[in-house]
Amino acid sequence: MIKTDVIIIGGGATGCGIARDLTLRGAHHCLLEKGDFASGATGACHGLLHSGGRYVVNDPGAARECIRENAILRKIAQKCVEPTGGMFVRLPGDSKMFRDRFLKSCDEVGISTEVLSPTRALDLVPGLNPAIEEAITVPDCSIDPFRLCMLNAYTSRHGGGEILTHHEVVAIVKEKGVCVGVLARERLTSQIKEIRGRIIVNATGAWGDKIAQLSGSHVPMSLSKGSLIISNHRLTNMVINRLRPPSDGDIIVPNEAVCLAGTTSLPAGDPDTIEVDPVEVDIIASQAEQMIPAFGSTRLIRTYTGVRPLLKSDAADGRAISRGFRIINHHNGMFSILGGKLSTYRLMAEKMVDVISDEFGLKVACKTADIPLEGQDELSGYPLSKRLKTMEDIICECELISRGDVEHAINSIGTQYIGDIQHRTRLGMGPCQGGFCTYRALGIMQDLGRVSPDESLKILQQFLQRRFKGIRPALWGDQLKEEQLVESIYLGILNMEPQE
Amino acid sequence: MTPLTYDVVVIGGGMAGFTSALYLTGQGYKVAIISKGDPVCCLSTGCIDVLSSDKNPLDGIPGLSRDHPYHLVGKKGITDALNFFKRIMQDTPIPYSGTPRKNRTILTPIGTAKTTCLVPMTMAGSETESDTYIHVISFKGLKDFFPSYITSGRRNIRFSLYDAGTSSTIGIATLFEDKSFRREFISWIQNLELPHGKVAFPAVLGIRNPLKILTEISDQIGREIFEIPTLPPSIPGLRLFRTLKSSFIKSGGDNYWGKVIASVESQGDQIEAVTLKSPGRPSRVPGKAFILSTGSFVSGGLYATRNTVKETVFDLPVFVPGTRKDWFKEDFFQAGHAIETAGIKVDSSFRPVNTRFGNLFVSGSILSHAEIMKNHCGHGLAIATGFRAAKICEEFLS
Repeated sequence: MIKTDVIIIGGGATGCGIARDLTLRGAHHCLLEKGDFASGATGACHGLLHSGGRYVVNDPGAARECIRENAILRKIAQKCVEPTGGMFVRLPGDSKMFRDRFLKSCDEVGISTEVLSPTRALDLVPGLNPAIEEAITVPDCSIDPFRLCMLNAYTSRHGGGEILTHHEVVAIVKEKGVCVGVLARERLTSQIKEIRGRIIVNATGAWGDKIAQLSGSHVPMSLSKGSLIISNHRLTNMVINRLRPPSDGDIIVPNEAVCLAGTTSLPAGDPDTIEVDPVEVDIIASQAEQMIPAFGSTRLIRTYTGVRPLLKSDAADGRAISRGFRIINHHNGMFSILGGKLSTYRLMAEKMVDVISDEFGLKVACKTADIPLEGQDELSGYPLSKRLKTMEDIICECELISRGDVEHAINSIGTQYIGDIQHRTRLGMGPCQGGFCTYRALGIMQDLGRVSPDESLKILQQFLQRRFKGIRPALWGDQLKEEQLVESIYLGILNMEPQE
Repeated sequence: MTPLTYDVVVIGGGMAGFTSALYLTGQGYKVAIISKGDPVCCLSTGCIDVLSSDKNPLDGIPGLSRDHPYHLVGKKGITDALNFFKRIMQDTPIPYSGTPRKNRTILTPIGTAKTTCLVPMTMAGSETESDTYIHVISFKGLKDFFPSYITSGRRNIRFSLYDAGTSSTIGIATLFEDKSFRREFISWIQNLELPHGKVAFPAVLGIRNPLKILTEISDQIGREIFEIPTLPPSIPGLRLFRTLKSSFIKSGGDNYWGKVIASVESQGDQIEAVTLKSPGRPSRVPGKAFILSTGSFVSGGLYATRNTVKETVFDLPVFVPGTRKDWFKEDFFQAGHAIETAGIKVDSSFRPVNTRFGNLFVSGSILSHAEIMKNHCGHGLAIATGFRAAKICEEFLS
């Protein structure tokens, strides 16, 4: 049994942010995450550090939070944030009235803008549709959600906190009507661990109601699915937004060598079973194409979808619901933190830990806005220059990951999960989406004695199913060609049988 | 410009194209092959899958969908074609083992048994029953073959690793061409004191003369040896392609390799020539008859857009199964995605339907309803339809 002060459920940005904040204020805690870090909405978003421009007209409160946090994260999380800058582009037919409201609201909220002529905008982003009427710059950035979580967790791990990934909470332990702990199941071994704590924080996003129900409580949520597509090329160096009220497919974010475009907004059911519909891909691609024409012909390497954990409201459309957040005291020892967004994760964590401090009578002020994230120096990172240095023994040809990189990742975290290696090295993130290198990475895991041959075949099969789910909605052109080759390897050469 | 008109111009240098071309040069015709690059067969195991459902592959034919191209060839036609293939491989460095009337299994790199029909002689001894002890000898760091996978679910198997100093299949296969490398390697094996049973290697025992190398090792270590296919790049696939290409050149054929077709010249219902893209003056390849064997999506004979499928050389009408939403099943392992039926529909004389061209024949995996992954019939289909298209072409020319 593990004994601690605070049990955090959920290893997304909010949960990891709370863990770091608690560490800096000196409170012991244990974080439980059923997958790897950022495996819910945190990892399934645009990777956009909002300037607030997207919300400024309809939700100035959320926009104000965004611009404040934007400035803080640029300072404290330099290794996660790429200060790309962003622009809102107005296409023929887009409302000029909205543009005027947009500029006025940005001014009121304090988002710095500059209006650019089409020529100047095209100088900055040559791939833009030359027919644009004008562009307005904003301080949007690209952000890496996974690294952000990893670095927040780093502080906790090095400060005495317990971080247990691949541990799913299956029950809440209650005594006399009060939550005193949880039971968590280790994913691979199914072993159950008991963790006892004084306060439980439910930071599970779309799974919030499921967890609240385990404690006999309930949280009012409105789940909204948002799907995205990934292009095989970095078609823009700046974040591109459409200058109109929030709608489908209106944001394109550059990230490393690719671009992420989305999103959609559809009512969602169970967050564990959501899938991308091919129609969503068509919608996003055709919208993105209006801003950057090459999006219509570029190769799409994958699709993904996440569930926004929005607060329940009377608004019919998910987009009209506030992106603000709320902390709910269930008055049984559990708190749920809901809503919000990646850009404001730090603020959410601060407010949550303020509440916890009050409960504990702690009088330490929040420091997360001032101290840069720990562990950034150690972060080997994915810069291409580093990957090019060791061109020997390349295991993943798409992303230039060597056998040494894979062995280092496996040994440093002692993992049995292929996803963990992919997140930490970019293995399998390129055009083949792990079709070739996953077999090799699992072979290396066998060599290192981490998994047995039987286990690795099972993991390989699960991986191939998951992978297929992501690429299936966008299969045409070169990606379809690649997919048929991958299929011929696993179903033909290896004669892999479906698993029951 | 080429002064002569070819009797037959084959477009696509894969299994189907080479089968057609080799038959026609054997009959004395003047043949050219145009290929934009090395074919997909280089990525294959080199084995000839015909149809995996029954013990006798031909018994599975009645169970195929009504539109499957095998029905146009018939059992006898398929048998003749496979025997033709065996015959042309007989005098090359990579002869084949097996008969068109019997399926067999080979051991895969993950220890499963794969059903196939004709296999390169270097895989003839492949063993999938676990009562025979198998010792796998692989190479340190080889990234497309991890022998530990094979031990999954199989008790009677062990492996040893030899450090060849390189990690690619092609690198190691090249080393095996060197006599002194082999000498050192063989003496290393002799020191292993292997128990009785068979010895298996990933398929890297040389590129040009694998059977000779295999026999040499087998004789010296006193064990029966067989090769296990690897993930691409696949050496047995590469050997097959190189052998077919050199046989074709030896038989007097012309090849235009690495060439992409820029335009098509036609007069009435006859194609007269195709023009090749070139850095200088475009070259024109005229022919009396044309065989299209450019393959399916992987080879680039077909190309899918967001909503439909195109044929890339003549823009022939393509059978497309529904809309994109219908192309793929949800399950990766559920073979038989609808997109596999996409392709060119032909009549009984292998002419594309609903086109005006009277001297164009189509063969291989570009044919509609072949469903190669579902039926495991890739090379078999290429050989059978390539052979039949060539015979029909011959009739047409006379």
